[in-house]
Amino acid sequence: MSVSLYPLATLAQIEKTPSREDGIPQNLEEDLRAYGCKLISQAGILLKQKQVAVATAQILFQRFWYVTSMKQFGIGDVGMGALYLASKLEECPLRMRDLINVYDLLLQRAAHTLSSSQHDFKYAPMSYFGNTFYDLKDALVVAEMQILKRLGFHVNVVLPYGTLVNYLRVLGLTNRSEVCTRAWGYLNDALQSPVYALYPVPTIVSAAILLTTRHYGIALPSDPENCWWELFDAEWEDVWSVCGYIMRLYRQKDPMEQMQLLTMINKKGVRQWLEENHSNSDVR
Amino acid sequence: MARSRVRLPFTTFHPFVMSATSTSAGPSTPSRKRSRWDSEDNSPDSPPQLAQPQKRRAKSEQHQVKPQSLKATNSTPANAPPRITAQRKQQAHSIYVPPRTSHPPLMPSRSVYCYERLNSIEEGSYGVVFRARDKETGDIVALKKLKLDEEKHGFPITALREINSLMVCKHENVVGIREVVVGDTLTQVFIVMDFIEHDLKSLLTLMPSPFLQSEIKTLMLQLLSAVAHCHERWILHRDLKTSNLLMNNRGTIKVADFGLARRYGDPVGVGGLTQLVVTLWYRAPEILLGATTYSTAVDMWSVGCIFAELILKEPLFQAKGEIELLSMIFKLLGPPNSSTWPEYSSLPLAKTINLPPYHPPQLRQKFPYLTAAGIDLMSKLLTYDPEERISAEDALHHPYFSESPHPKHPDLFGSFPSVAAGEKRRKPDSPAAPIRAADYKLLTEFDLP
Ligand SMILES: Nc1ncnc2c1ncn2[C@@H]1O[C@H](COP(=O)(O)OP(=O)(O)O)[C@@H](O)[C@H]1O
Ligand SMILES: [Mg+2]
Repeated sequence: MSVSLYPLATLAQIEKTPSREDGIPQNLEEDLRAYGCKLISQAGILLKQKQVAVATAQILFQRFWYVTSMKQFGIGDVGMGALYLASKLEECPLRMRDLINVYDLLLQRAAHTLSSSQHDFKYAPMSYFGNTFYDLKDALVVAEMQILKRLGFHVNVVLPYGTLVNYLRVLGLTNRSEVCTRAWGYLNDALQSPVYALYPVPTIVSAAILLTTRHYGIALPSDPENCWWELFDAEWEDVWSVCGYIMRLYRQKDPMEQMQLLTMINKKGVRQWLEENHSNSDVR
Repeated sequence: MARSRVRLPFTTFHPFVMSATSTSAGPSTPSRKRSRWDSEDNSPDSPPQLAQPQKRRAKSEQHQVKPQSLKATNSTPANAPPRITAQRKQQAHSIYVPPRTSHPPLMPSRSVYCYERLNSIEEGSYGVVFRARDKETGDIVALKKLKLDEEKHGFPITALREINSLMVCKHENVVGIREVVVGDTLTQVFIVMDFIEHDLKSLLTLMPSPFLQSEIKTLMLQLLSAVAHCHERWILHRDLKTSNLLMNNRGTIKVADFGLARRYGDPVGVGGLTQLVVTLWYRAPEILLGATTYSTAVDMWSVGCIFAELILKEPLFQAKGEIELLSMIFKLLGPPNSSTWPEYSSLPLAKTINLPPYHPPQLRQKFPYLTAAGIDLMSKLLTYDPEERISAEDALHHPYFSESPHPKHPDLFGSFPSVAAGEKRRKPDSPAAPIRAADYKLLTEFDLP
């Protein structure tokens, strides 16, 4: 039947991502991934792009970091490439120029935040014949091709929303709109985490339902021999782990941490961070 | 503490980008009514530090996760379900949820130099296809080079559709994609497929006599099940024709060339679907008449043309242009009218066409030896109204396939010299030749080694 087998990271890839190999701590990598995903979603909103394309882009983006280090490619460029590629995959292609303009704006906004300037942010549109445009265009084309190559052209993505609706129906929860809304929201938030590159959709949907039903204090059958998630072929440990990934997204970050991320949108910033942080204290 | 949750920077509120913690319900995660779950794990200051994802089955051999990361799992609320994974019986997965291990890993493309080039199969045609050998396994494969040069829009969307369709539509009767490999430059990308000895077009021209009815049924069933499979996965092929149907020496058809395929069922935006699809002879009348929305029915029309071609041993509508094609269709099927095709008059190009006076369909005259059931299936495939045209799924259950003669087992098909493999047909006077074109009829009765 209709099961498309989308790729998932292997255990070895999960335990040692290329970025971690290069000395980027796990927390920082997760934060940078989440930040890259946020840029994708902001670009999607500014471009009025369909949510399916944005979600697909975020999943491709997350997969990419299991085969590539952030020292080699920046989260900004790869995010832009992922959104460009995903928009084609979802049959709603973007104009290169529009996407480049929007990313330019987002990057300028980040730079403005970093500069701690007293003035309000004001976007300075670039010239189409200036270097910025051609640099970003090159970066975009390269990023798209690198995503394809490094993922072996396995760009098939399955989104979780249909599955959520089915499961909520099975569990008799469709009549509670706040449950549907919140579970749907968790699935969207999870797009900023790596879980779609790690677990099959049923596991992720079960996690969203678990978080939601716990939030509203809804009891579902959870005896050892009769657990609702088993109905959906999910394993408890996996569901629990997905919940952890999602909850970590809501972690309070201090403003310094936050600023740090803004400096690391491109690989130059990442390399600089690595130099500063590994010159004195050696890795592990 | 009620509003202490960090607003993720730049989190923008947008109807489509709905976040769990920004729902209209208002209170954000930490401020809600607390439960044991919350008090244990769910405060923003101490998010659960959970175990790294573990691949099941690998677990027993792999070293366990670091203890500190297991903390939260151990502090699972008492009412939480026990950890059952470890001793859990090997539960049968539903067919909808394949085990994690059957998902492919994330893997980069290999280099084209993993293959040794043998001969080119389709010389002259511009999408070059090579026969090649996998240096590691020795397998013979087909490499199709994608046309990528001078792309103004990055990687071409058509090439993406071709690759993605092949990956999504894996099926016994769809040519198997093995991988996508890359050359030295960004413009060299090759699809690696199983090598299939013949294409149906060359085969039909080379065969001295047409396929038997039993063979046609087998081929049609295979074609229909492939098409049904693609349609079920929301893929339109849009270029079904005999040169895009490959056949191996074991009588199995493989649908190939998804170069024009695309997904349907998306809300048709972005200018709708293009009209320039399907090689002329196999093109459905609604496309000829300028319809901008079309669906699976266009493939079914092509299947009808292929069905006819298998019987006739030559293409059904060999027209030089669209107008000639329409008049050939009108001649064979009788001109459409408001009862056979209600939407006809509203199609963009209908006004430019002068319909001939009414006459009944000529299918019986065209296919004098086809049974009544065969004619019925043909007419259901070559139906004007796309809404009424039979679906692949329904065609599979058509009585034509259950009446005598029954479909022949593919193993009983003859073997043919493969043009694609560079094999020559043996000279007719060579007595030792085991596979002679002239012996085709005889050979089809036997299972060849
Ligand atoms: N997997 C294959 N095995 C053997 N021959 C193939 C294979 N794929 C394609 N061919 C040959 O190459 C020809 C062209 O391939 P196709 O995919 O149809 O490309 P095009 O888009 O140029 O029509 C086919 O008609 C067939 O003869
Ligand atoms: Mg072709």
